[in-house]
Amino acid sequence: MSFWCQALKEPWSWQFRAYPGVWLAAGLLAFAYFRSVWRRHRRTGAPIDRRKALWFALGWAVLWLASDWPLATLGASYLASAHMVQYMLYTLVAAPLLVLGTPEWMARRVAERFRIYRTLRFLARPVVAAIAFNVVLLVTHTPIVVDNVRTTQLGGFALDLLWLASGVILWQPLISPLPELIHKSFPVRMVYLFLAAGVFAMIPGGFLTFSSFPLYRTYELAPRIQDFGALSDQQLAGAIMKIGNIPIVWTVMAVLFFRWATVERDGPPARKPLNSPRQTTAPGG
Amino acid sequence: MSLATSEPPAPPPAGESPSPVRAVAIAVAVAIVLLAVAAFFAVRAQSDESADDGWGGELLRAPLAKPDFTLTDTEGQPYDFRASTDGFVTLLFFGYTSCPDVCPLHMGNIAAVLREVSGEVEEKVKVVFVTTDPARDTPAVLRDWLDRFDTTFVGLTGTAEEILAAERAAHVPEAQLEIQPADESYIVAHSSQVIAYSLDDQAHLVYPFGVRQSEWAGDLPRLVTSEWQS
Repeated sequence: MSFWCQALKEPWSWQFRAYPGVWLAAGLLAFAYFRSVWRRHRRTGAPIDRRKALWFALGWAVLWLASDWPLATLGASYLASAHMVQYMLYTLVAAPLLVLGTPEWMARRVAERFRIYRTLRFLARPVVAAIAFNVVLLVTHTPIVVDNVRTTQLGGFALDLLWLASGVILWQPLISPLPELIHKSFPVRMVYLFLAAGVFAMIPGGFLTFSSFPLYRTYELAPRIQDFGALSDQQLAGAIMKIGNIPIVWTVMAVLFFRWATVERDGPPARKPLNSPRQTTAPGG
Repeated sequence: MSLATSEPPAPPPAGESPSPVRAVAIAVAVAIVLLAVAAFFAVRAQSDESADDGWGGELLRAPLAKPDFTLTDTEGQPYDFRASTDGFVTLLFFGYTSCPDVCPLHMGNIAAVLREVSGEVEEKVKVVFVTTDPARDTPAVLRDWLDRFDTTFVGLTGTAEEILAAERAAHVPEAQLEIQPADESYIVAHSSQVIAYSLDDQAHLVYPFGVRQSEWAGDLPRLVTSEWQS
C-alpha cells in the first residue's frame, strides 16, 4: 500500500490497490466544503445553494476518479493515454465543476484567509491564465518530468495538485466564483478559451502523435497491457491531448455565444445562471 | 452586438498584502526552481545515456563468439543457429511466451524499430527467440506469439537439455523455473539481455532490459555497418 499513486514495475492486474492519501485528501476536501456550507447555513439562516453543492459533488467525484485506482495506477505506471485522460479530467472537468460549486462567500473567505486575492486577480487575467495553464501543461508533459517526477508518490501528488491548480486558474476568467474576476467581454472569453485550452495543446499533442518512437521511458518499458504497443499508446495520448478538449471547449464556447446573444437581445438576466458576471449593460450596448 | 458588459467593481477584501508584482516575482521564482530541477534531471539523464560511446547497448570488454547449436524451429525443422544466421546481424534472446514483462517488451521494441529503420538495415537483421519454457511453448504457440510482433522472427525450441546447452554456449545464465505457491503455476527466471552478434560472428554488445526503441534505432544501422570497429 502506498500513500499516493506511484510507478509499479510489475505486470498490470485488476487487483484493487489502496491509496490512503487520495482518500484522506478527498475526505478532507469534502469535509471542509460541506462543513463550511452547513455552518454558514446554521449561523445565518441563508439557504444552501443545492445547485452549487451538486456541482461541487460532481467535481469532487471526478477528482477522486482521476486520482484513485485504477486510472491513477494506469496513468503512473502503464499507459500514457491514461495519464492524459487523468490530466483532462483534472483540468477540464474536475476543476471547472469545483469552481462552479464554490459559492462567492466561500471564495472570498478563502482569498482573505490565505491573503491571495490580488494573486488570484492577477492570475485571472486571460493572458496570464492562458500562459500559466499552458506552461504547466508543457512542463508536466515533458519526458523528464513524467519519467522522474510522475513516477514517485510525492511527485505524483505534486503534479496532481499542479494540474488541479492550473485548471482552476484556466477557468477563472470564465466562471470564477468572484464575479469581478470574470472577464467582461463574451468574445474575449470565447477566444481565450479557444486559445488557452484548445490551440496550444495541439503542439505537445502533435509531438506525441507524430513521434517515431515512444518519448516516455516509463510507458515504453512498462509491462504491456493486452498487446497495446507503447507507440500506439502514445499516439492515443497525443490524440486525447489534441482533440479530447473539443467537446468541452466548443460546448462552453457555444453557451457563451448564446448568452452573449441573449444579453444583447434581452438585457442582462434578472437571475444569474452559472456564475456569469453582473451585467448591467442595456441591450445594444 | 457590443463586446463588453459593464459591471461594478467589487472591492478587494481587507488585509490584502501580495501585489501583482510580488505575485509575478513568486511565479518567476517557482519557474526558476522548476527549470533548475528539470535541468538537473536532464543533465543526469544525458550523462547516463552518453556511456559506452553513444551505444544504446552495453559494449562488452571481451566479445563473445557466436554459439554453435541446433534447435527446432516453429516449422519443426532443425535450425543450425550459426549457419542459418551467417551474414546477418543476429539478435539472440532467451525467453518464454508466458513472460509478463521482459520478453514481450524486448520483442515489441525490436519489432517496432525494424519497421522504422531502412529496408537495407531490416534485411540484414535477424531476430532469434529461444524458448526457456519448452513444456508450454510448443512450436505453434511460439509461432503465434512471435507473429504478434513480426512474422520474420525465428522461434526455436528443443528439449530441456538442448536448450540448456544452447544457453551455456551463448554464455547466458541458465533459466530457472519458479513455482508460484498460490496456484502452483510457474514463471521462468531467465536472462533479460538480447545478445547482438555482428557480421564477424561475434557479440560486441548486449542489450539489457531498459534499452529503448530510440536506442535500438540508433544502434541497428551501426551494427549492420560494423561501426563498432571504428
